[in-house]
Amino acid sequence: MNMERSAEPHDPAPSHDPQAQEQTPAFDRRMLEFLVCPETHAPLSYDAERQELVSRAAHLAYPIRGGIPVMLADEARQLD
Amino acid sequence: MTDETAPESTTHFGYQTVPEAEKAGRVRGVFSSVASRYDVMNDLMSGGIHRLWKDAMMDWLAPRPGQRLLDVAGGTGDIAFRFLRRAGDATATVLDLTTPMLEEGRKRAEAEALSDRLDWVTGDAMALPFDDASFDVYTISFGIRNVTRPEVALSEAFRVLRPGGRLMVLEFSRVPVPMLQKAYDLYSFNVIPRMGQAVTGDRDSYQYLVESIRRFPDQETFLAMVRAAGFGNAAYRNLSMGVACLHSGWKL
Repeated sequence: MNMERSAEPHDPAPSHDPQAQEQTPAFDRRMLEFLVCPETHAPLSYDAERQELVSRAAHLAYPIRGGIPVMLADEARQLD
Repeated sequence: MTDETAPESTTHFGYQTVPEAEKAGRVRGVFSSVASRYDVMNDLMSGGIHRLWKDAMMDWLAPRPGQRLLDVAGGTGDIAFRFLRRAGDATATVLDLTTPMLEEGRKRAEAEALSDRLDWVTGDAMALPFDDASFDVYTISFGIRNVTRPEVALSEAFRVLRPGGRLMVLEFSRVPVPMLQKAYDLYSFNVIPRMGQAVTGDRDSYQYLVESIRRFPDQETFLAMVRAAGFGNAAYRNLSMGVACLHSGWKL
């Protein structure tokens, strides 16, 4: 089933594998220009440290996972 | 009358009836489970014909340079890649309910050097995280039958399209010839879940796919839904005698 992987000679130790060292893609800030809160359609602010998109209007913080914003209210963190 | 006594509103998940609130989670389960083998399965199930259908979609859509596409339920990027290659200088946002599908698509975009013209967003077709009038084209390919309330997805599509924007839906539909529909049903219900079991080790997910196809409204019913969402010049074209169907509409 894994024939397509035969191009790589054999798996080196993970730490030497360039694929493994490659960082997960970062969130692209330009996406803030068109992303809004799906609940309120209000603009979002980017919290780089927590990797979250914050909707103050909805009191929700949407997670960014591996550079991909997860714009689902049921996955968001409730803010006080 | 109180809310406590009101019956819980339900929807269909394949042939099962489930509470509306549960459907999205179940659909996510299906696609997380099959993400890495999804494209292989599509080729096997349709004998590669899904590629011709997607090309037919592009022929009718006629992508142009500078357009901005939103591809909903666009998981592994099939439609967005085709659109970008045909349009030349255009951009696309791919939205899917399932992050593993998007990760799969993003890997493929890197391989095809299309990454810088693509964005990937996890989201719900019924509550799009985009401003009104943001896109020139909205596509959803083999996705709308998985949405809990397709009519809500259509009105969201209308909202995020710019005036003059285009909607195009590719979905399985009905074969209008009973004999052929019968043969197609035999194939779907007997072959596809077994194939799913063999390729992805997940028979139930493919059983769901087959059942959900049969539950989806026929051509004329869906056309009426596209019109009800506000789209003008709405029309459809059958593909492979109605096994699949393209629906088109304009935000006039």
